[in-house]
Amino acid sequence: MFKLLKEILRTGDATVQYPFAPYEASKDFRGKPEHDAEKCIACAACTIACPPNAIHMETDLDAGTRTWSIDYGRCIFCGRCEESCPTGAIGLTPEFELAVMSKEDLTVKAVFQLDHCRSCGKPFAPLKEVEYVGKLLAQTGGETERSAREEQILHTCPECKRKNDLEQVSRMKIAAQMETSK
Amino acid sequence: MNSPFNAPFTTDGLQAKPPVVSIPDQVAKMKAALLKDIQRSAYVYRVDCGGCNGCEIEIFGTITPVFDAERFGIKVVPSPRHADILLYTGAVTRSMRMPALRSWEAAPDPKIVISYGACGCTGGIFHDMYCVWGGTDKIVPVDVFIPGCPPTPAATIYGFAVALGLLGQKLKTHTHIEQEGESVPVSHPDIPYKLRVALEREARRMAGYRQGRDLVEEFLDQLDAKAAAPLPERMKRFVANQEDPRRAEIFGCLEGIVTQAIGG
Amino acid sequence: MDMFVQDRVGGEYLTALRTVLPNAIVNEEWQTPRQVTITVTADALADVMKTLYYEHYGWVSVVVGNDERPLNGHFAVYYVLSMEGPQKCHIVVRVEVSAITQEWPSVTPVVPACVWGEREVRDMFGLTPVGLPDARRLVLPDDWPDDLHPLRKDAMDYRTRPAPTQDDETYEFINDAKQETTIVPIGPLHITSDEPGHFRLFVDGEDIIDADYRMFYVHRGMEKAAEARMGYNEVTFLADRVCGICGYAHSVAYTTSVENALGVVVPERGQAIRAILLETERLHSHLLNLGLVCHYTGFDSGFQQFFRVREKAMVLAEVLTGSRKTYGMNLIGGVRRDILGDQAIETRRVVAELREDVNRLVDILLETANITGRVVGVGKLDKQVARDFSPVGPMVRGSGFARDTRSDHTFAGYASVPFTPRSHDGCDVLSRTLVRIEEVHDSLNLIEALLDVAPGGRILTEDFEYKPHKFALGFTEAPRGEDIHWSMTGDNQKLYRWRCRASTYNNWPVLRYMLRGNTVSDAAVIVGSLDPCYSCTDRVTVVDVRKHSAQTVPYKEMERYGRERKDSPLK
Repeated sequence: MFKLLKEILRTGDATVQYPFAPYEASKDFRGKPEHDAEKCIACAACTIACPPNAIHMETDLDAGTRTWSIDYGRCIFCGRCEESCPTGAIGLTPEFELAVMSKEDLTVKAVFQLDHCRSCGKPFAPLKEVEYVGKLLAQTGGETERSAREEQILHTCPECKRKNDLEQVSRMKIAAQMETSK
Repeated sequence: MNSPFNAPFTTDGLQAKPPVVSIPDQVAKMKAALLKDIQRSAYVYRVDCGGCNGCEIEIFGTITPVFDAERFGIKVVPSPRHADILLYTGAVTRSMRMPALRSWEAAPDPKIVISYGACGCTGGIFHDMYCVWGGTDKIVPVDVFIPGCPPTPAATIYGFAVALGLLGQKLKTHTHIEQEGESVPVSHPDIPYKLRVALEREARRMAGYRQGRDLVEEFLDQLDAKAAAPLPERMKRFVANQEDPRRAEIFGCLEGIVTQAIGG
Repeated sequence: MDMFVQDRVGGEYLTALRTVLPNAIVNEEWQTPRQVTITVTADALADVMKTLYYEHYGWVSVVVGNDERPLNGHFAVYYVLSMEGPQKCHIVVRVEVSAITQEWPSVTPVVPACVWGEREVRDMFGLTPVGLPDARRLVLPDDWPDDLHPLRKDAMDYRTRPAPTQDDETYEFINDAKQETTIVPIGPLHITSDEPGHFRLFVDGEDIIDADYRMFYVHRGMEKAAEARMGYNEVTFLADRVCGICGYAHSVAYTTSVENALGVVVPERGQAIRAILLETERLHSHLLNLGLVCHYTGFDSGFQQFFRVREKAMVLAEVLTGSRKTYGMNLIGGVRRDILGDQAIETRRVVAELREDVNRLVDILLETANITGRVVGVGKLDKQVARDFSPVGPMVRGSGFARDTRSDHTFAGYASVPFTPRSHDGCDVLSRTLVRIEEVHDSLNLIEALLDVAPGGRILTEDFEYKPHKFALGFTEAPRGEDIHWSMTGDNQKLYRWRCRASTYNNWPVLRYMLRGNTVSDAAVIVGSLDPCYSCTDRVTVVDVRKHSAQTVPYKEMERYGRERKDSPLK
């Protein structure tokens, strides 16, 4: 009994000041994932990695848009989105004050434009993603400017690319045949 | 009071849906007043609807000395008959629906319902599984949602404060619309793409996605820096200047990758 | 795997088995040098199990059902035995169950430890263990349709939610008492308890004559979702949420099972970090239980003090993983965060502080005048009962068996540090508490030792190929005992089957025997000394009740029942 009293006196006030003073979580605490829509290329890597399906991506072909959304109510704060993001557009912050009175406030969205294929005119991938890939290709090739032809290929959907390739191959075959038949 | 016990289930595709209890207008008005300013201490009864126990343990953390929610008059009570606030955790498993409804009925009106943790708010990682109904609001009306997996004691205190009208809500829904010309730059454009990716991958294997990224950014900044001394010398000095041997080891490893890339 | 032949451990058991039962084994397949799966004939199953269990010191870890019709035309049941005799290894006894008869002979009559496992296979696959004495459901809720068996590959989508067949609870509780008894129902929601579970104590006056319980109020359907919705790496985060107290142990057990199946070699530094975090988890969990023991014995100041000190272990977890509770640290192949210099220094500081704090508090606890009267000789877990039902962790170690996965089947970074398992012979609440106290100190020492020996290098390897239909076991020693996972890889980066068995699953079945002969007022401390993690109790499911309950139960809880239920269970 005496020891317990001693322990209590020794400890003094163990209680944190929060909410009267800010509460500092440890470095790299896993709190609210913050999405920087300007840095996002809508590639959907995070939607695939998210274990509870808190991050969603919906494509609306008629409107030519792709809508990204996160539900903080379903988020498990694992950081898989941050781990999988190629551009650093999403990252966990120390923010933990997330309680809300209405469920709608738990959802944050971002709407992105889809790129339309220069061949068939159909939307096929987010414009920002296509542009980003173009920049990476240019960097790998050590170029700063894209030729008009490269630009055309970049903005062509995979289906048309395949078709164009086939056409090109058959043209080459015909040309080769004509060459040999001469 | 309308009884939640006999209302029919509806069906949506593969999934049956339980009826949600409704609240008479009179009770809703009383509750709105209570949420605005409770003006007294609030007693909380916990209803575990099939959580993993993480939330329950953090609630323990909230009411014990370090966070001490009793400072604010928040006390956990052993019976719903004594409760002002019902704190629902878990994704509402099939077996727990009836007990959860019985607790709801037992608590006197006007009662505040808090949905606690990812599972309570939306079903969390279990949201679409066969043996759960998918969150508190699938069976009873919810007044406050406290996200987290689990919410920390500090987040819990904040949630209570929001429920009792002591602190304002911070989170607001919003929608970003892509603007004309929005474009994402490639990071470190002066460093060859393949080298940058090789460094980033190795840093993740050495120190993980978070610390690894911080470290590789620090290292890439060194490579980018315009300085008189030649690169190999600068890298050597940078590695040698690390006080923490583990950081030195990781940077040394990254240095090796650069050396191999430039020197062959 | 032929290259491992010379390293194999456990072959002697198979040789012995072949001598006694020459035609029993039809196939033998080694997953790792210490893991073998033998397929046996259905006729010989019970004899094989009995021989391995009682004559070669095997313990039942888990029973796994699997719908292998798409692979080979049969169902299969795997009985996992942890062999703890001279050769420490795992022997998995596999029996094929015909897709036509859908029956196989029950092992429970000769090895009682199989009872929950076989009941679960019946629920989840609709197979019949012929001769199983207990015909009740185990996992599925009372309102679930009779003919729908979730884990059959052709039964249903993982999202299917049939409307309830009924709202009444129809579970039959078993009472072996010879005299007339009164029923004291507890739960599923009880007083300060955490998790739902329903206990019925059959009492005569104050004395508990028998007890039964219904668990699995927390069955959510994780195994099915893991097989259908998630990729193999995402399942590690689901495994984290099997249990909110020892989730990391599950995450490690799961990743280890897949790594064993695919032959992935996790870098040593990653292994050491896993062990450090497992011990951090044990710290907070054991401190929680010590606090609760104080609470159950009416020493509430002690409860508050232990929880105050426990917060330091929570901060330690936050420093190392970024989260207090769900660590989210594993991927197949390693871990996601390193321990840098600053964190190592902070870890050592917290460990040193905790050691002092815990010493003082334990001193106070054990010197409290009436503590011995409340824990000595209470809730006896008889050695023979323990041997028959294969309980794990501090439960079995408090009854004189030094079973500890960390030394029996070493995993993660434990091989690199000295470790001796604890045990006490009292078989009572005190013994289990003493085991936990000593283990808190062991954990503190282990964390320091692991920091000392953790080598440099990578923490994660991505150097492996995901191949379908490979299977193996993964295991850890969670704070409550052995967690064991059995995974079979599938197509599309998904699992074909995941069976996750939490430690408390093996501990519940003995509770009945521990309650018998005690008084109602001791029920709380007895259940508490099991340190039940209801959720744990099973992977898919779980359980529930928590300790505190009984103290306040008799009055308030009964009163609540009286109000809320028309058919008050009090007679």
